[in-house]
Amino acid sequence: MVSTESTNEVVIETRNLTKVYRDFWGRQKVRALKALDLEIRRGEVFGLLGPNGSGKTTTIKLLLGLLFPTSGQALVFGRDATDVRKNERIGYLPEESYLYRFLNAEETLDFYGRLFNMPRAVRRQRTAHLIEMVGLEWAKRRQLKEYSKGMQRRIGLAQALINDPELILLDEPTTGLDPIGTREMKDLILKLKEQGKTVVMCSHLLADVQDVCDRIGILYQGELKELGRVDSLLKVREMTEIRATGLSRETEAEVRAAIERNGGRVVSWGNPTTTLEELFLKIIEQSEAHPGQRVRGGADDGR
Amino acid sequence: MVVEKPVPEFWAWLPWALLNWGLTVVILAMVAVGLGFLGATLRYGPRVAWQKVLRLLRAIPEDLLYTSPRRLWALTRLAVKEAVRRRVVVGFAVFIVVLLFAGWFLDPTSEHPAQLYLSFVLDATGYLVLLMALFLSALSLPSDIRYRTIHTVVTKPVRPTEIVLGRIFGFTLVGTVLLLVMAPISYAFVLRGLAHTHTLSAEDLSPVDAEQTASDAQAKVGYTDRVRGHRHRVQVEPVARRGPTEVVRDHWHEWTVDRSGGETRYRLSGPRGMLQARVPVYGKLRFRDTKGFDIDKGIDVGDEWTYRTYIQGATEAASVWTFQGVTEDRFPEGLPVEMTLGVFRTHKGKIEREVLGALSVRNPRTGLTVEVEIFESKEFSVKQIWIPRKITEFSGAEVIPRRQRLIDGSVDITPPPERMNPELANRDEFDLFEDLVDDGTVEIWLQCLEGGQYFGAAQADLYLRAADAPFVLNFLKGYVGIWLQMVLVIAFGVMFSTLVSAPVALVAQGGVMLLGFFKDFMVQLGRGELIGGGPSEALVRLVKQENLVIQLNPGLGTKLVKMFDTVAELFIRAMAALLPPLSDFSFVAYVADGYNISANLLAVRTLTALAFLIPVALFGYLFLKTREVAQ
Repeated sequence: MVSTESTNEVVIETRNLTKVYRDFWGRQKVRALKALDLEIRRGEVFGLLGPNGSGKTTTIKLLLGLLFPTSGQALVFGRDATDVRKNERIGYLPEESYLYRFLNAEETLDFYGRLFNMPRAVRRQRTAHLIEMVGLEWAKRRQLKEYSKGMQRRIGLAQALINDPELILLDEPTTGLDPIGTREMKDLILKLKEQGKTVVMCSHLLADVQDVCDRIGILYQGELKELGRVDSLLKVREMTEIRATGLSRETEAEVRAAIERNGGRVVSWGNPTTTLEELFLKIIEQSEAHPGQRVRGGADDGR
Repeated sequence: MVVEKPVPEFWAWLPWALLNWGLTVVILAMVAVGLGFLGATLRYGPRVAWQKVLRLLRAIPEDLLYTSPRRLWALTRLAVKEAVRRRVVVGFAVFIVVLLFAGWFLDPTSEHPAQLYLSFVLDATGYLVLLMALFLSALSLPSDIRYRTIHTVVTKPVRPTEIVLGRIFGFTLVGTVLLLVMAPISYAFVLRGLAHTHTLSAEDLSPVDAEQTASDAQAKVGYTDRVRGHRHRVQVEPVARRGPTEVVRDHWHEWTVDRSGGETRYRLSGPRGMLQARVPVYGKLRFRDTKGFDIDKGIDVGDEWTYRTYIQGATEAASVWTFQGVTEDRFPEGLPVEMTLGVFRTHKGKIEREVLGALSVRNPRTGLTVEVEIFESKEFSVKQIWIPRKITEFSGAEVIPRRQRLIDGSVDITPPPERMNPELANRDEFDLFEDLVDDGTVEIWLQCLEGGQYFGAAQADLYLRAADAPFVLNFLKGYVGIWLQMVLVIAFGVMFSTLVSAPVALVAQGGVMLLGFFKDFMVQLGRGELIGGGPSEALVRLVKQENLVIQLNPGLGTKLVKMFDTVAELFIRAMAALLPPLSDFSFVAYVADGYNISANLLAVRTLTALAFLIPVALFGYLFLKTREVAQ
């Protein structure tokens, strides 16, 4: 297995990257990105966060060479972002699956495989593997226009991975996915990280980013407002969290007393709640194990 | 057949064409680099602009060199699938429907039915395929950009060359398949539309000599029944078992007779000679004026169409065609001459017949001229005259010198008077190759014999029918012309679609098609050769309802109009140089009129198409390379 630690190799570098959108007459319409300086290293999962219109997608498009910078520079693998050769090592999942709707899943992956100049045997093997990986074997001969949004995201992901890329750029990867799909996508991102891939994703779904990213950058109105490791950015240093099982009521009282005795203050005390995502996945899992039975997810039944 | 633009000989044309093309491409490239630099300077400043231009110039050879056949094929296949998805079959369905109902409107009783049917199927196919090419090529890339499917393509290691060429190749492939299907269907339609026969019975025939009584021992003549508005005269020799009818409406039928059982039954075949591909050998045309001196052009009789110039009847004036390469090997039996003449009458003439003319053969060295036939002119149809190897029947023979006025004002006479030998003409028989052809060169003279009447001639009006090529092959060559037009339309469509949105690309491409079909007019307009002046002068004349040929009133207004036209003509001339001459690629007239499309013509036209395709594809690539595909 490839090391999960990021190396020092800089995969993406932006220097004073600025993008101004102009109208037909060349008048400035909007300044989408302002002087972005960023470095992303090999093996990192990097999240670009921000509300709609903050410049996330613009950044991704600049990195892909879909847009040209107004000023500044974007380098990918040390090459200018407009250099086609960098694309050999890149996978890109767009915000929506911009794929040819008249092709089926196999034809789609075969087409993109050809664009990477892959020989026929390799294309076949990669196509079969990726279709299985994204769980679309049952629909691989159906035209994409018949696909649900979730299925389109899956095949979109498969095309992004057709060349076994070193750098994967994911634009809103969980958009349109159900909770199971969302979890699978997040698991996949973590798996890619384990394989030593560099992942750059942008999202406005904070939980998604928090779950998978090593580092994040927060953009607002085209400006980078925060940049750092997720764990250190989210850490609340002045508070302590204790989680324990098997405590009796007496022991609990003793712990509370000990905290107060030592000058601390209990802010909250109680049983932790699971996330809705975890509850949903647990119910689905149990339903599949025991069809026909009503599942109790451990809640209080509202009574 | 009217050939307004003579086709140059390929190898003589090639060096000049290559030089011209190279110069145009270099000028265009310089203009493109200049404009690109200017645009980038306005946006980024001169230093960055220069860097960008240099980077682009470096990228061009790299992109061309690293264009991958596999990626190209993938994108070609994608374009094919897209075309199929865009219901290209609808175009084919329309074609079938058009053919199904065409029978209602095509008149099989017309004078030239084959011409009518052939030009219809070729034109219908051409228009449909060009429309299809227009829509497919102009809408494809903008649609990809609009629906952002291009994002998943350009983020792969795909070069803009591959995207542009993939589109061009893909749509060309679709169009080619469509043409390959349409061609045999069209051919079957033509055959079916022209198929007919006549009936002939023994009662329809009567003896040639009405004084004698009918018997099987003498020749009989008669007419077939009338079908599709015509009938054929038939002459049956007593012992003949088969023979041809007379030619009517460009065809004839073969009759066969069955005299078994004491009864005589005639059967006629289907039409023959309707579909042909004559291989003409053209000569060089000059004229002879009424005083017997050589001139380049004949008389202008005031016709707006200046294709033909005229010779005056009952004078020394003649149209003279000089043919070269006339050898015994090539024409062992004699010379098959075919001609189409224009006739201009200053009076009605003899009402019961056409204007009389004479055709003579002349040896250019000795001046021996033998008048081989006096004929009645027949406008709008091809007249055939056979000049046999041994000329025994002729209406006159004499030695005629050629008189040319030289630049210094002196007159050159060939043969010189001291070498003229009038004895040459005092014979009863002439051998074509021994007496009249000199080292493969022979002159054919055409004269009008009636005073006050004129014959009009152009170079392609008289030719030697060297052979006949297979018609089916010629029919297919007609489709090659449509194919070349289609490829050009696709290439221009793809080029525009790399630059502008779908509706704008559609309009721009439609404009190129329209102007391309009228390129000759544009060239004339640009050169100021049109009667009525340039665009603004024409507008003034239109508004003031002034005659085209009178001068505008002198004054400031007229000066301004002329000045504007001078500038506009420069612009129009530059535009016209960039337009593909689409009408030149149409071989409909060749196929419909029954003339072989020569390898020389195909080579010239194919290379001309290629000369446009290369820069158009290159510009498509540049536009795509320098644009942001994301919006």
